[in-house]
Amino acid sequence: MKISKKVVIIGHFGVGKSSLIRQFVENTFSEDYKVSIGVHILKKEVSIPENNKDVTLVLWDLEGNSDIKKTRTSYLLGSHAFIYVFDLTRPSTYGNIIEELEYLKVTKSNTPIIVVGNKSDLVTKKFIKEINTKFQNFNSIYTSAKTAENVNDLFLDLAKQLV
Amino acid sequence: MYKDDKLQILKDILLTDERTYAQKIEEKLNVLEDTLNKRNQLSEKVDPIIDEKLSQFILEIPKTLGPTITEALKTEIKNSQDAVVEALFPIIGKMIKKYIQSEIQQLSERINAQMSKTFSFSFIKKKIKAKFSGMSHADLILAEEFKPIIEQLLVVENHSGLLMANYSLTKNIEEDMVSGMLTAIKSFAEDAFNSEEQQLNSIQYDTFHIHLQNFSNYYIAVVVSGSYSSEFKHKLEDKLLDFAITKINKTDLKESVSLQQKIKDYFANENL
Repeated sequence: MKISKKVVIIGHFGVGKSSLIRQFVENTFSEDYKVSIGVHILKKEVSIPENNKDVTLVLWDLEGNSDIKKTRTSYLLGSHAFIYVFDLTRPSTYGNIIEELEYLKVTKSNTPIIVVGNKSDLVTKKFIKEINTKFQNFNSIYTSAKTAENVNDLFLDLAKQLV
Repeated sequence: MYKDDKLQILKDILLTDERTYAQKIEEKLNVLEDTLNKRNQLSEKVDPIIDEKLSQFILEIPKTLGPTITEALKTEIKNSQDAVVEALFPIIGKMIKKYIQSEIQQLSERINAQMSKTFSFSFIKKKIKAKFSGMSHADLILAEEFKPIIEQLLVVENHSGLLMANYSLTKNIEEDMVSGMLTAIKSFAEDAFNSEEQQLNSIQYDTFHIHLQNFSNYYIAVVVSGSYSSEFKHKLEDKLLDFAITKINKTDLKESVSLQQKIKDYFANENL
């Protein structure tokens, strides 16, 4: 039986949402800076060897927005998971993150949320450790779309959570 | 001997070399004067140099003048859009005319082929059908030429945009992404017009028509090629409604394999 799941990727402008997905879906990374426009839909089949299942992740890459309340709510409907991406090098992209995640928790209860600190190649391990204390109540991971660090793990772990 | 003669002899003795030298210079000057004043002689000398320089210049044009010319053209086109349209219009017009002529020619050939079957059984059948339907025989042939065909049918879950089942004449699209994009477009259009009650019912794309029929938990998108007439639309709506009521049950909505089979059975060889 085919298992498909809708995963919505949200976050501020320029945090690397599109790059993160491109790294996972096409296994390439472009240095061209490109801000997402509207919504871009991509898909990736993920195999979970532990239980011998294949999951189709349909990824909705939403345009960057500094306020989640301004996001087109119809795009969030029917989601099986959210990936909230922020830029580790820009505090403005995670300044209001707790409020944003609480909003998601309240409006979309029981939908798993993964917090992703992207651009880990540009900060120190010590900094990541410090910032991680902020998200103790959330499932968080630190990635680099540039070096592909943790990108596959992010989606594989998510797929495992969803089946 | 006079004094002058003596002086002349002395000059001859002392200035022989200089005179010879001066004479040679004079000869060279004459040759140069001839070269400069006579076109063919000048041409012989100068042409190879000009040719060489010109070839070099031509080779270097893209590098040296290319960006300047491109920029100038861009500015000119931007500033004189009307003039550009006016200049291109006859060419584009001719191309379109040629394309339409070719299409009409092909259509004419197909109709001729149909007409050549004049005494066939199908011809007589069509004649009778035309008589009873009130359509002319030619209209009937044309309607058959552009008969609507269901190319693809997608059953998509509302909101999530996930594909529940699909049927396709030819597998040529990425159904999961198409159903996601269709849902996003639907949501966008419905949000943009702030209409909770109204829903997007169709999308026209190139020669295809995407018919969207909404149900409470899912919608069905039907990609139709050919003539999408209101008569066909009504028949399709009835057919989809009938399919939804009589064939789809709650289990199907969770089990895509059974739904997939039902769609195939119901819509394969469908002739609306």
